[in-house]
Amino acid sequence: MMDISEPSTRRGFLDWLIAACSSVAGAALVIPGLVYLWPAAKGGAAENVEVEGASDMSPGQARTIQIAGKAVIVVRKRSEYRAFLAACTHLGCLVTWDSSRNEFLCPCHAAVFDENGEVVSGPPPSPLPRYQIKEVGGKVYVSAA
Amino acid sequence: MGLGRQIESFLDDRFDTETARGFVDKQAHKRLPPNTGWFHVFGSLSLLLFVSQTITGILLLIYYRPTPEAAHESIQYITAEVYFGWLYRQIHAWGGTLMILAVVFHMVRTYFWGAYKKPRELTWVTGVLIFIGTITFGFTGYLLPWNQLAFWATTVGTESANKVPLIGSWLQYFLRGGDAVTGETLSRFFVVHVIILPWLFTGLVVVHLILMRLNNLATFERVGEEKPSPPEYGIPFFPVHVAKEGVVVVLLLAVLVTLSVLVPWEIGEPADPLSTPAHIKPEWYFLPSYQLLKYFEGPYGAIIGIFACSLPFFLLFLWPFLDRGKERHPKRRPLAVGFGLLGLLGALFLGYLGHISETEQTFFGKRYYIDLLGRPNEIVDDAGTSESKAH
Ligand code: HEM
Ligand code: FES
Repeated sequence: MMDISEPSTRRGFLDWLIAACSSVAGAALVIPGLVYLWPAAKGGAAENVEVEGASDMSPGQARTIQIAGKAVIVVRKRSEYRAFLAACTHLGCLVTWDSSRNEFLCPCHAAVFDENGEVVSGPPPSPLPRYQIKEVGGKVYVSAA
Repeated sequence: MGLGRQIESFLDDRFDTETARGFVDKQAHKRLPPNTGWFHVFGSLSLLLFVSQTITGILLLIYYRPTPEAAHESIQYITAEVYFGWLYRQIHAWGGTLMILAVVFHMVRTYFWGAYKKPRELTWVTGVLIFIGTITFGFTGYLLPWNQLAFWATTVGTESANKVPLIGSWLQYFLRGGDAVTGETLSRFFVVHVIILPWLFTGLVVVHLILMRLNNLATFERVGEEKPSPPEYGIPFFPVHVAKEGVVVVLLLAVLVTLSVLVPWEIGEPADPLSTPAHIKPEWYFLPSYQLLKYFEGPYGAIIGIFACSLPFFLLFLWPFLDRGKERHPKRRPLAVGFGLLGLLGALFLGYLGHISETEQTFFGKRYYIDLLGRPNEIVDDAGTSESKAH
């Protein structure tokens, strides 16, 4: 027989139990769905990626290529190569190389970076991240720093 | 017995159609307050545009392909080959812009009429959500043609998310579906634009309309002192107000078709993730926030900037709970009206600065280069070399 003198505690406990179980079940349904929305990493490692046709580049020339899903600008100065993340550190537009001024220019808010990727003028808060260059047997390889 | 009558009696035999009919009758002939006029049509105009966007959007979906390889081409196909495809694409693109305008006008109307006050606070709050939903429709839809301007405006727009304190970089990664704007971003925006938002939005609008009907429209009477208007003074929703809305429908269709023919939206160049074109700016409705954000630089500045851009939205949400004065008539609410005008003019001014920033403009016969922050720099080109561009 139910103890009618204490209905509230027993009912209260059952209510609590039902609420707790439904919350757990609900979370079990919702959490995997949320995790599903998180982008899975892809694009491969940005290590020792060959710059196709680098030897054909004339001094002063630049080329923007895609490495592991990111745009990277490779510049040939005389015989030396340099590579930077091409996305401007302000709002992500891609910089171009101005060989007459020896500077990178951003088309969006007129930022200027020098040949080392340092900010010369404009709104960007930080320099262009630099990539490492390796030259092996006439081929040029780029790696994220 | 006619077919209509037959169907009616078939239904009458099986369901309680009396109640349903009574409900429809009551809603159709509901009396609106006597001051309901032409300013009150912006709400239904917004709804109408949503219906139009839904219909034209579904039609576009038949030929649109949401992948980086096919999206741009599919829009070209819609415009060039599909019968009336150009028309539906134009009406959808222009409808998006007009819908944002209509929602803004509707908010401005209810703000100055004091309609957000008790008991209609929640109607206002659902309205603010609808406003945010409309902007999100615009932002996600804009990317779908996958052209240069859209691609780079979206890159810049999602990059701004990076400035949100603490979670910024995650937020940006999540929105883009990766490090950069790619096909993953297109998929995400597509699903939000054509599935998630339409349903959420429909739910919001239904709640908004139910709340609106439950409280009826606001008058200029003080809060808590509204007299229930006797039916003979009210304006019947049908046919009087509906007739006004009919006029608006016709005007709207005329405007949409005229704009579509005379000022068609460009399809633009296909997106190129390896080259940013010059003059990237967001759509006009983002220009005020975009411009405001420019004034805050550096790590702390960015945080303050994000705060400054979200403050207006917080204020909008909380406004009915902050402004608790009993007056509704704008003449008796100088403070709220002044504040509203200030906000509105501020947004217009910032938007205008954003629009002319980084362009050359002529004022009073002199040419100026308007810099990033909207400051004019006079151009003195005597030798053609001394341009005072602020680099
Ligand atoms: C409710 C259902 C909706 C569906 C199914 C839908 C579907 C689509 C589709 C398939 C496109 C790509 C075609 C194109 O770009 O022309 C598109 C683009 C677009 N949508 Fe929607 N849409 C809906 C609602 C809205 C709303 C409410 C707005 C308004 C704010 C809106 C604004 C836009 C914009 C601005 C574009 C870009 C137009 C262009 O440049 O061509 N859409 N939509
Ligand atoms: S994105 Fe390069 S200066 Fe703004």
